[in-house]
Amino acid sequence: MLAAELLKIRKRWMPYVLLLAMAAILALHIFLAGYLTWRNADDPFQRQEALQSFALPWSLPAFLGTAQFWGAILLGILVASSVGTEHSWGTVRQAIIRGQSRSQYLTVKLVAMSVVGGIGFSLAFGIGLAFSAIATALTDHPITLDVPGGPSLPEVALMVLRAAYGVLPYVLLAFCLSVVGRSTTLGVAGTLVYVFVEAIVLSILAGIGGHAADARAFFPGHNVSAILAANRIGDVDFFSFAFRDPTRRDLPDPTTAALVVGGYCLAFVVIAFSVFQRRDISS
Amino acid sequence: MSSSEVVLRTIGLSKRYGHLLALNEMTLEVHSGQVYGFLGPNGSGKTTTISLVLGLIAPTGGHVEMFGLDTRTHLSEALHRTGAVLEGPSFYPLLSGRDNLRVCGALSDGVDEKRLDEVLDLVGLQARGRDKVRTYSLGMKQRLGLAAALLHDPELLILDEPTNGLDPAGIREVRHLIKGLGQVGKTVFVSSHLLSEVEQMCDHVGIVKEGRLLTQGSVTTLLRRGEVLEMQVTDPDRAVQVLGGLKWVDAVKREDDHLVVDAPRQRAAELSRALAEHQIYLAELRPRDSSLEEFFLEVTGEEQAQS
Repeated sequence: MLAAELLKIRKRWMPYVLLLAMAAILALHIFLAGYLTWRNADDPFQRQEALQSFALPWSLPAFLGTAQFWGAILLGILVASSVGTEHSWGTVRQAIIRGQSRSQYLTVKLVAMSVVGGIGFSLAFGIGLAFSAIATALTDHPITLDVPGGPSLPEVALMVLRAAYGVLPYVLLAFCLSVVGRSTTLGVAGTLVYVFVEAIVLSILAGIGGHAADARAFFPGHNVSAILAANRIGDVDFFSFAFRDPTRRDLPDPTTAALVVGGYCLAFVVIAFSVFQRRDISS
Repeated sequence: MSSSEVVLRTIGLSKRYGHLLALNEMTLEVHSGQVYGFLGPNGSGKTTTISLVLGLIAPTGGHVEMFGLDTRTHLSEALHRTGAVLEGPSFYPLLSGRDNLRVCGALSDGVDEKRLDEVLDLVGLQARGRDKVRTYSLGMKQRLGLAAALLHDPELLILDEPTNGLDPAGIREVRHLIKGLGQVGKTVFVSSHLLSEVEQMCDHVGIVKEGRLLTQGSVTTLLRRGEVLEMQVTDPDRAVQVLGGLKWVDAVKREDDHLVVDAPRQRAAELSRALAEHQIYLAELRPRDSSLEEFFLEVTGEEQAQS
């Protein structure tokens, strides 16, 4: 069943286009916003700050943050499309009438998307790493992890896992919306609207302060920021192409944040499964 | 599986959509080896019944048994032994016909390439198997639907309007295929609104209207239920008077130079004698089976509605 699901995804153009889009975003981040800024900066402090946005190893949290944010959106689009088109094409009926149970159907979809998402995120990390290594080499700085507060290789792996974990709530939101709404559009649009509205709401709540600021702890975005903030190398803040701020010092503890994010993920999955289990599937 | 074994049974199956009762306590039985025609006008509940049987929609009341298994608890098991073509077959347009069958095969615990060739050949799509489904006509998709249904060699086939979208040659091929499946012992449950199609393909029929099963049974038995004798006599006008006086004759009609008499065929000799007593002699006497169309109109009351 998993092989069939992967075949369906492999034969579509969408995953390849989305991966290209991710590569383009990472190139913009590293070369345009990073390397070119560094080359044109005169002030030594500005040059140092710019260098840390694209040169290894400081670039790792930065491009992982960017990969998390755009990965959430791009993978959300892929997931919503994968679920929604099965309804619009009517192929969901084919799966059910061949004896695949409804929970099996959704589980296989989730597992296949995890495989594709895992491969996609690994490729994005590889692309970001390659771009960053090229940009670092252009500055004649050594490519090394051996800097003050620099991560070990296992810590780099943990940084990647943190960023990938930050993708999950948005992808599962897209999954849930497209299952409930039987529509790609609802999954994609709902997730995009949520991502941008959440960023605005979090900024407003932070501006109000007090209990309003405390309420941010209930939002997935604020907790994802806390998880990504744990990727910081030493005390160096990092620039991210995300509509959130992982450099704030008032973020929740990463473990608590991971639990809150996990709770949201679980809720989205439970809603999708329970709605799909009871639903009539007509043509 | 013995030929008397019930392969598909619905028990008091009902489906309500808000105020609309789409299916009203449908109870039907399909036995092993039967080619069962599920006949009814559009909107009579055929697709609803099939969707309920296949677990696509949940019943408001009643339940379904397949192969003796209650589908409320053993749906997956039962569906693995079943192949189905739904009205308007659905496939992945970006995949080829062959890849679509591979996906279907993977859902049915795997099917080898040889079997893919066999079923593509059987439905006449071998040459177009590698083309993307989005380039297929409706008829080709319908054939691919049949290929997908036959892929895992199921014991029971459920076909919802399988000839929709096919050209006359395609209809004939599919009809031939379905009859052939019946002859090799497969059980086929086929819905249609086309009387001629059911009459030609099926040995059993269930007639449904407005969500109710009006009658079911073997085609030959149902057609003999209303018996008609057709005759040619020496004096038709007097014969009408004579036969009209017999209490076991329900009706006598003139059709050109023939008389059509509603009477049990085992009383043909008595009928002949009654006419002979009035010096009216038979030139021809033969039983006439009513067509399924006449029977259908009779049981659904469409004839009265039309008149």
